Amino acid sequence: MPTHQLPAPIARFIRIVTWVENGLLIGLLALMVGLAGTQILFRNLLDLSLLEADQLLRMLVLWVALLGAVAASRDRKHISVDVLSRFLPARLHAGVRAFTDLFTIGVCLLLAWQSVHFVQDERAMAEKAFGAVPVWVTELILPIAFALIALRYALHLRHSLLQCCGREECR
Amino acid sequence: MILTGLAFVALVLLGTPLFAVIAASVLLAFSHTDTRLTVVVSEVYRLSEMPVLLAIPLFTFAGYVLAESQAPRRLVRLTNAFLGWMPGGLAAVVLVVCALFTAFTGASGVTIVALGALLFPALTQAGYPERFNLGLITTSGSIGLLFAPSLPLILYSVVAQQLNIGQPVAIGDLFLAGILPGTLIVLLLALYGAWQNRGQAIPTTRFSVREALGAAREAAWEVPLPLIILGGIYSGYFAVSEAAAVTALYVLVVEVFIHREIRLPELPRVMRESMVLVGAILIVLGMSLASTNYLLDAEVPTRLFAFIREHVHGALGFLLLLNLFLLVLGMMLDIFSALVIMVPLILPIAVGYGVHPIHLGIVFLANMEIGYLMPPIGMNLFIASYRFNKPVLTIFRAVLPFVAILVLAVLLITYVPWLSLGLLRH
Repeated sequence: MPTHQLPAPIARFIRIVTWVENGLLIGLLALMVGLAGTQILFRNLLDLSLLEADQLLRMLVLWVALLGAVAASRDRKHISVDVLSRFLPARLHAGVRAFTDLFTIGVCLLLAWQSVHFVQDERAMAEKAFGAVPVWVTELILPIAFALIALRYALHLRHSLLQCCGREECR
Repeated sequence: MILTGLAFVALVLLGTPLFAVIAASVLLAFSHTDTRLTVVVSEVYRLSEMPVLLAIPLFTFAGYVLAESQAPRRLVRLTNAFLGWMPGGLAAVVLVVCALFTAFTGASGVTIVALGALLFPALTQAGYPERFNLGLITTSGSIGLLFAPSLPLILYSVVAQQLNIGQPVAIGDLFLAGILPGTLIVLLLALYGAWQNRGQAIPTTRFSVREALGAAREAAWEVPLPLIILGGIYSGYFAVSEAAAVTALYVLVVEVFIHREIRLPELPRVMRESMVLVGAILIVLGMSLASTNYLLDAEVPTRLFAFIREHVHGALGFLLLLNLFLLVLGMMLDIFSALVIMVPLILPIAVGYGVHPIHLGIVFLANMEIGYLMPPIGMNLFIASYRFNKPVLTIFRAVLPFVAILVLAVLLITYVPWLSLGLLRH
């Protein structure tokens, strides 16, 4: 996603966010592959099954899935029905995209807000997910991911609007 | 209510990400009840409570690593060494290679992109007509969905298990159930390839023991993979998610450290790209868990069944109607969305008509294979059009005979449940 037309501090912020997103996604996937493999070795060689590792692995699925969804937002790779783009003139299509971007931002902000409530509720219950990690910490990815998806679509929205107004070339 | 429904359909057609539309509709539906809206995100959180989902990121990652390596080329050489001597042999090679490859990459279009460049020139060079080649490769991009460990099979089982239909829908059973129908599809298409090109002077390569051994030695690391997966699962040695972990680790070691075809610095990009697909699928699944929860609360499937039972009598009539419906659905929605949105509605009805849930899953996916080839959405048409630089209409005309064969196969799969269930009853 191009950041060069943004004010410098915002562009820098986006670059840092992108870097952290990528780092977390890749790191957690590596952890998942390694841990899942170790589990099998342990079970077969030492007849040992780590319950906590199972719980951690399931949590990793959620985190990797949501971080993957954030990455998909950056590249506009979400599953969608893409019929109109082939029939509409480029600028009109950019206008339609601006509208759907706005809708997506709205939904994601609402989801992020509900996720904050969800995390707060869980925090009051103070249950443990695995080891010393409370459940609410594992849920933190929900508000973070939905907020990040909203952020990505806000950046898309800017481009869609500029293209719609003819101030940026349509891709 | 009809107006809101139409508004949501319009949003989908305008290209809004599907997960956002489903989320909005569920938020709206729950806002009319006493339930707190946090229920939607708590359903997404349930993605962390299904152990079997672990298989999805692991298999997808393995598939992407394989696609980036030279494994497709080795697979082509190996299959050609064993099938190339038959009439229409190269066409059969294309079908078998693509089916195996799609099983690992989940029919996400990777097959056409990764193998098209390799197979299309090979077919042309061997003297097959261009139109046939376009049709064959475009079609091959989605066959293989029925073979383990394809993502749609896993996803169907995950969705079906949410529904409490009283019959288990184990992934292992689905993997077994897909073998005969999947083979039937490949076989019918291969026969068509041989028949279509009869009388054309296409030289077949003579079977050579030396070439077969050489190809087998070259692919020695990849050949055991299906055995590891299926053998591991059916001997009871691995759970499905464990088989996925072994596959991911194995493929990683073979392609990165033994063959060294993916350099270590490239690995993070491959990891990220594979997880984009996983994220896009699982977030739709998460939202659809919430919508399924609402639909079950509102007893929608029960009411739908009562309505349909008044008009459609008997399982055969229902299955015919289902085939038509799925064909149209496949023209509109991609396979992953169709699965998570439609299975919660269709499965309870099918079970009501006495259709086995495993059989329904195979019928559903077989229908969807055709959807990949139908306008206006059919993803394979557009990927092939882009890949081979040909108008979509040309591609569509080229796949039509293949679509006819697939329809025949789907009818057989639908009305001969034994094909799907035969291997299960032992």
